Formats: sequence, C-alpha cells, structure tokens
Amino acid sequence: MIRFIFVQNRQGKTRLEKWYGSYGDQEKQKLKAEVHRTVASRDQKHQSNFVEFHNNRIVYRRYAGLFFCFCIDTNDNELAYLEAIHLFVEVLDAYHGNVCELDLVFNFYLVYAVLDEMILAGEIQETSRSVILSRLEHLNNLE
Amino acid sequence: MKGLTVFIADLRKCRSHEDEEKRVNKELANIRTKFKEPSINGYNRKKYVCKLLYMSLLGYEVNFGHREAVELVDSTKYSEKQVGYLAVSLLMEDESEYLRAVVRALRRDMHDGSEWIVCLALNAISNIGSREMAEVLTSDIVVQLLSPAASMFIKKKAALCLLRLVRRFPEAVKAHQWVGRITPYLGHRDIGVTQSVASLMTALAQQYPEETRKAASFAVRRLKSLVIDNEYTLDYVYYKVPAPWLQIKLLRLLQYYPAPESSEARSTLLSILRHIIDVSQDVPRELQQMNAQYSILFEAINLGIHLDIDQGLMQECAVLLGRFITSRETNVRYLGLETMSHLAAYIDRLDSIKAYQGVIVQSLRDRDISVRRRALDLLYSMCDVENAKAIVSELLRHMAMADVALREEMALKVAILTEKFATEYGWYVDVMMRLVSLAGDHMGDEVWHRIVQVILGNEELQVYACKISLQTLKAPVCHESAFKVSAYVLGEFGHLIANAADSAPIDQLKALQSKMSSTSHSARAVALTTVGKFINLFPEIKTLCLRVLDRYRGALDAELQQRACEYYALGTLEGDELLPTVFEEMPPFPERQSALMSRLLKREANTEDQRTWVVGGREINRERRGVMSGAASNDSREAVEASAMPVPAASQTGGPAGGSTAAPKADAPAASSASELPTDPSVAKSMRNYARLLWENDGILFDGEEIQVGVMAQYKPPGGRIGVFLGNRATAPLYNISITARAADGTQLDIQPAAGQETEQIPESLMPLAQARVFFDVQCKHVFGAAPTLHIGYTVAGSAPTVSELQLPVTVGHFMDPVTISVADFFARWKQLGDSGIAESQHVLPSAFLTKDAAGLEWLRSVVGGMGFALIQGADPEPNNIVGVGIATTQAGRFGCLVRVEPKPAHGLTRVTLRATNAEVARSIGSNIKMVFESK
Repeated sequence: MIRFIFVQNRQGKTRLEKWYGSYGDQEKQKLKAEVHRTVASRDQKHQSNFVEFHNNRIVYRRYAGLFFCFCIDTNDNELAYLEAIHLFVEVLDAYHGNVCELDLVFNFYLVYAVLDEMILAGEIQETSRSVILSRLEHLNNLE
Repeated sequence: MKGLTVFIADLRKCRSHEDEEKRVNKELANIRTKFKEPSINGYNRKKYVCKLLYMSLLGYEVNFGHREAVELVDSTKYSEKQVGYLAVSLLMEDESEYLRAVVRALRRDMHDGSEWIVCLALNAISNIGSREMAEVLTSDIVVQLLSPAASMFIKKKAALCLLRLVRRFPEAVKAHQWVGRITPYLGHRDIGVTQSVASLMTALAQQYPEETRKAASFAVRRLKSLVIDNEYTLDYVYYKVPAPWLQIKLLRLLQYYPAPESSEARSTLLSILRHIIDVSQDVPRELQQMNAQYSILFEAINLGIHLDIDQGLMQECAVLLGRFITSRETNVRYLGLETMSHLAAYIDRLDSIKAYQGVIVQSLRDRDISVRRRALDLLYSMCDVENAKAIVSELLRHMAMADVALREEMALKVAILTEKFATEYGWYVDVMMRLVSLAGDHMGDEVWHRIVQVILGNEELQVYACKISLQTLKAPVCHESAFKVSAYVLGEFGHLIANAADSAPIDQLKALQSKMSSTSHSARAVALTTVGKFINLFPEIKTLCLRVLDRYRGALDAELQQRACEYYALGTLEGDELLPTVFEEMPPFPERQSALMSRLLKREANTEDQRTWVVGGREINRERRGVMSGAASNDSREAVEASAMPVPAASQTGGPAGGSTAAPKADAPAASSASELPTDPSVAKSMRNYARLLWENDGILFDGEEIQVGVMAQYKPPGGRIGVFLGNRATAPLYNISITARAADGTQLDIQPAAGQETEQIPESLMPLAQARVFFDVQCKHVFGAAPTLHIGYTVAGSAPTVSELQLPVTVGHFMDPVTISVADFFARWKQLGDSGIAESQHVLPSAFLTKDAAGLEWLRSVVGGMGFALIQGADPEPNNIVGVGIATTQAGRFGCLVRVEPKPAHGLTRVTLRATNAEVARSIGSNIKMVFESK
C-alpha cells in the first residue's frame, strides 16, 4: 500500500503531498524534510530508484527539477510503483499540456482530483491513460 | 479562480519568510471577516476555502473554515462540492465535531442521481475513512459495488473505499457478510474494476481465507485471459505490455493461497508463469517497457517460489536471478538480490544460490546503499552450516567500512548467524568479541545481553570465554560493550581460570580496574558487581576489592553509589552466610526466542498486506508458513511478537543484583494464557465462533468438512428471532435433514420454530453448496444460566446418519439493551450495587493481544458495545477504561447491569467487573466476556 506521495523540487519545497495513512502535523513536516534529504542526495545515474525509509521504502523518479516519491511497503512491487509514477506524470502532462512546476502550484486543488482518479486508499485504481483523461475532461466540464 | 491565483502569486513574490507570514496573516483576517458576512456566495466561499487550503499546505496553522467546508459539501455545484470534500479531508481531524455533518452529507450524496456526485462521496470516504463512516456507510458502499446500475467508476471507487475501511476498522465493516458476493468481481470484464477489486480481495484473503477461497480460481482465469488468450482492450496496454498492474495484483493475490489442488489448475498456472518468463527473454530497449515487463516477471518468480510445484521452473528462476544480480541496471540488480532472498527462504537446496556467493559478497560494495542492503539480506538468508564461517567473516570484514545506517543491522545479523551455525565454541566467542569491538557503538544492548546469556547457558564455553575476556580487558583498547561482557563473564566464572598463568585473581582485578575509569556509568555498574562477586570468589583479594568499592561509595551517580555501598556492606558483614547467597552464580537463562530476532523482525513488521515471506532463510519461513495456514493470519504476527519479548533479565540494570526477580513476572501472563487455550484446533475454532456470536448478531457458528452452520439473530427483548443456516459443504447431497433447538430449562427460556413455519420447509435433500434455513422464536421467561442446544441431523449418501450438537449462542446477555445514563448516575448506581455485594462478578483475564495501540482498545469497545452495553464516555478517569450500562429484559422482570473493563496492556491483563441487580445476570455476562477473551 502507498503510505504517501510527495512531489518535491530540488530545494525541498513540497509541491504535492498526499497522505494515505494517518500522520500528525509535526510528523508530516518531519517526513517531508527527511524524504527530501534521503532522495535528493542520491546519485541519479548510478543508483537505483528505490531507497529504504524507516520501515518502508521510497520509490522515486526525477523529472526535470521535480522528484516524484511514493512511499510504499517493503513487500510491494517496486517497479510497478515506479511505472505508476510515470503514468501519473504522463497524465499530468496531458492534462495540463506539458506540465511544469508552476502548474502544480497554481492548480494544487486540481492535482488532488487527478490523483483521486488514479489512486485511491493507497492502491492503484485506474491504469488506462485514456480512461483517466477522458474522465477528467468530463469532470472539468461539470458546473 | 482569479483571486486564488493572485494570492498564490503574491505569496511567491515575498522575499522573506516574515513578508510571507505578514501576507498570510492579512489574508486570514480578511477571510475571517468575509466568512462572517451573511451574503457570501458559493463561488467566494470556494475561493476562500481554497486559499485556506493553500496556506495550510504551506505549513501555516488554519483552525477555522470547517463550517464553510461543510457548507460547500452541501452545495449542489460539482466544483464547490469537490473543494468542500477536499477541505474536509485536508483540514479536519478524526475527532472534529463537523464530521458528523459530513457523514450525513455523504449518506445523501451516496444516493444522488448524478454518478459523479456518488464518485465524489466515495473519494471522500476513502480519503477520510473515519470509524463512523465504516459503521454507517459500509452497507451503502457494498450496494453500490454490487449494483448492476452503478458505473465502472463507482464500482472501482466503492471497492477501494471498502478496502480502506476493512484495513482500518475490520470489526466495524462486518466483511464476512458480503465478502462472498464480491469475489466474482475478479472476473469483471472492465480491467479498472478488476484492478480495484483485486486490491480489496488481497486484504480480505488474509482475514477470511475460507470465505474467499474461490478468489484463487477467478484470479487464475483472469490471468490466463490476459497473458495467454490476449483478451484486453488497447486502452490498457502500457508500452506494449497488457495491463501490467493488474497482472501483478493477481500474481500477488495468488501468493496468499496454497497451490491449487487440481492438476488442471496447476498446469494452467504453470503455463502462465512459463509464458511470462519466456516473454521476458528479450530485453526491450525502452525503459518503460522494460520496467513493466520486469515488474511482472519478478512477481511471477515470487509466485513460482511460493507455489513450489515445479523443480525445473525453480532452477530456471535461479539462473535468471543469477543473471539479474550482475545486470548493469541498478534497479535490476536490486530486485534480483531481493527476489533471490525470497528463493533462499523456500528452496530445498541452496546450491543454486551458493554458486553466486562471490557476486553477492561483491554487492556489499555496490555504489548504491539500497543494493548493499539487499545483498546483506541475501547473505543472511542463504547462510547455512556449510558457508557460515565464510559469510560471517566477510560481513565482519565489511563492518568497519559499512555505512553507519547499515551497521546495526549487520551486527544483529552476524550475531544471529554465529549463534545459529556455531559448531565450535571458540569460534562463537571469538566472533562475538570481535563483533562487539567493531560495531559496539552501533548496536543496541541486545547483542551483548545475548552473548552473556549464551555463555551462561553453555558450560563448555565458559573457560574459553574467561580467557578471551581477560585478554580483552588487558588489550590496549577495549570497547565498552566488550568490557561489559568481559566483566560479567569474569564475575561469574573467573575462578575457572584462576590457576592459569597471568590469570590469578589479582591479575583479573587489575585488568578490570585498568579499564574501569575510562568507561561509562552503566559499564562501571556492571564492573562493580563483578568486584562484589570477586569478594565471594576470591577471599584472598577481599581487601583490594573492598578498597575499590570504598572509592565508589562517594560516587555522584546514584546507581553506582548504591551498588558500592551495598556490596561494601555485604563484604564487611560479620558471618559468612549472606555473601555467598547473594553473589551466587547466575542460573542459566531460560530458553526463549532471542531478543535479536525480535528486533530484526520488528523492522519488517510494518506492512499493510502481510508479507508472504521474511528475510532469513528456510527455517523461519517454514515456521511462519505453518502458523499462517493454521490460524487466522493476524494472530501469527502477534504470536511472534509475544514470544519475543525483550530480555528482562539482569542485563537491563547492568548487574545481576536487580534482575532475577524481573524475569518470572514478564513471563507469567503469556504462559498462563497459553495453557488455558484448548489444544485441539477444531475445538478452539468452534469456541472462537461461539464467542464471536456473543457480541455480534450474525456469523458462522460451525465450520465443518460436510456442513457449515450460520446464525443470524434479531432481539426485541424479552423476545427474539434466530435464523439458523445450514450449508452443504460436502461434494454429495445431504438427506434426512433435521434442525431442532432445545432450551436447557423450558421454564426459563422458550425456544420454538418460528410461527408460520412448518418443518416441511426444510428440503428433503440439500445439494452441494446449497443452503437451508430455519427460524426460531425465543422468549426469555426468566434469567437463565445455560445456553440452548442446537441439534443438526443429516445423512450423506451411503453413510450412517450424523447428528451434530452445538451450543446456540443465546444467553441472558443477548436480551440486554443499552441504556445511557449520566456519569454521576453511573457512579451512584455502581457504588450502590457494589455495597450490596451480592451481584458482582469479577475476572482478571490474560489479554496479551491488547497492545497499547488503538486497534486493540477499539476491538474491546466494540465487544462491550456489541454485548448490549451503552458505553459511558468520560466516566472513568483512566481513558482506556471502558464503562457501560445495559438492561436485560425478561418476562419476569428487568435487570440493570453495569460493566467496567480495565485493560492493562503493560501487564497483559484486563480486569472485568460486572455489577447487576441479579447475581445470575452478572455471572452469565461475566463468563461471556471471559470466553470472548479466551478465544481471541
């Protein structure tokens, strides 16, 4: 199960945070900082996309200046979530038309809606790009 | 929303944090005034709530706007409702007073005519997922999932909503009532729906292995259609790979079931696995495709290892994995090592893995710490008597260079392997002493405690251990943990080497003293005890020992001072009885699971779905598998933890003086709870079923090979109606069926077939998988003690008739209704009933399963609530305690009953006290609660 999802920039600013477990406010701040430290310091070229994080694992991928991080259980399939990140980025990209960091900042409330069409309760809900995108378009046109 | 965009842009322009804070405070003040205006419209409300959300995400405290969020939820406009639910999920705590209003709104929206409104509600439930939602909304969600009219989007969301609630509140959702109807959805043609249902089923498979048995065959069929028959729509092809995530989910789901029994199903499964492996032989160029393909391949290998039905396939997997661990792709190396650990956990002969030992050792030096960790796990798992020495010495060699983050784990693993595979005593002592010297700073006390335990328990080790200890103390540098072990060992067994060269008592004392001044307080405390023991062992150096103690009598540290004073007094005491008694040799520690193991296992405990294997080789995994297939899966983890309590002995305070009394205490509750459980598993199981029905109205009463009996009850005290369901689980029809019930005493309880129902309604024969049902009406005439019996008779073709006699869960407690009274009234009644003293029942029950976390207490609350007590909040000063009130109604009169439950997780005990206006009521309900505890 996914415990949380962060999108952070290289300076460690969190642009998206989605929690699927219950965490206290202080704990959340601490985890965000810790994930950034853990992930940003890793060698992108020679190291894997997986790193141990407390009793869980972080699966992450960097797109331009943004780190997309999923925190998952140690018995989850790492590659499946690594590709889920890619799918998420593809959907965001198509939805915003070449997504950039500022899109996530100004439309933060819509990003949650996108996520809710792909992942729910910490598990993957829908994996078809076209199904997700046409659904989002439909919802966008609602009053 | 232009205003929002402007606001965000404003904040981004702020040069300093102070500027930003100023802007935020200004906006907060502005929003507060706007919210007070009665004329605020929906658009503005949405805009301001969004601004609040943004500020909250930046880390500013936002403690208002909840009411406005609820108002948005009540809006009819989609976009406003959407923001409303988002705000509720981001801003509100579980205890928020507004959540009740949200639950009301959700209930309404769940039945809205617009499909997207229902979807919004489902999103919100899975994002918030409070207990009340689980209690109030579960049945609505199940209806949506099963409804043929519901859209694919609703179904997907409903399934994952249920998953969230099942995981958080397993008691509240009563999954056994609907799990059977969900299973067929694994065969749903829509891949998104199957994906979501498969996640739900994976969680249910762990809680209800029996009820979900059919899920396995559905999963196999679905996999076959995807992998072999190529039945999928193009929408779901991800970089040329068909529905990779669904394939993975199904392959994973199957790992929670044993290998199928029919040879046909086995060969289908094998051909699926073979197909997946064959496809992966050519490595695609594109990264996404490669990842997708490998993700399926690794999961298929995991399933292959789990099934363990084809040796050829296993060998092939081993070869594949061997290739992966030398791959140039770091991700692949990582996964190769991890999956090989899984293989090592089950494979019979480790030879195929040992062939790669050199490569694996090399991986301890990989550039990526993640890979290094997996290499360590694998070395640990593949270790056996044959290669233990080589692996341990490699690990020790790496210890000095290893990352700080990895050293503790490495030390634990070395300690466990050395103990497990030691064939020579010298080797064990040498390795462990080197280990504590090398890694002492990075490991917990468990390691040195364990060494002392092992030495104390093995006489053959003791002389050699003494020699090494003395050497260690004499060495120029001596690590603190090594010092503790050495001091402890010499204090116990120093006399064994006293006649050897340079090992005279005076040498031992001098060696100890030479290092003592440079160690920490806790180490010095251990050393003081050793000095005390020396007085007893070596009377010839008594004066010297007393001099050392004397010096510490003025120590600033209270522990040191106390020890020095007490030992000094003992040493100077007249008479020679007390000293030898106090300083007698420590007895060997009782055999118990090593604290090292539990520490290691704790690192793996935190997964939502249970692990199907753990790092650490065959033995531990075989053991786990045995436990898992035997009992409900949740228990196994608790069992492991319970048996692996930390070492409570002398080592905690650092000396033998304080410890010996602690050990038996910590053991007592665990031992007594184990001895009271019935040993026959089937008896235990039916007792569990019966006990469950003491606080839940519906459920399975009996689960046999031929029949299954379920009960559904509805009470309107003093009456009630009990439905009894008989299911045929045999492969042949059942004939001559009879279902009758009899009360122990007809004058107290009346039980009759329900009015209007004739015995003819029981069918002549019952086909396999079919179900018959009978209803009984009960009337509670007076307080009664014994439950009625249920007789079920039937014949299976060709064999003698069978009659099963079961206890029907109908007790006086079932005729109780909750009554809410004020806290003051409760105490007045409690005292009044207590003073009379006749109608009280009290039990102190072992409850090791109630840990400190909230889940155990939640369970306890639902048990007490389920028994018909109204829980009185805030009555007890101790928040974990539960008090409740109920009234039992019989035709002869009504009897009030008060309960107080005081769980003490630290002691593994719970006290349950009942006071009632009738002694039999208190006794009967008390024994019900006792039974629920004993069968938990």
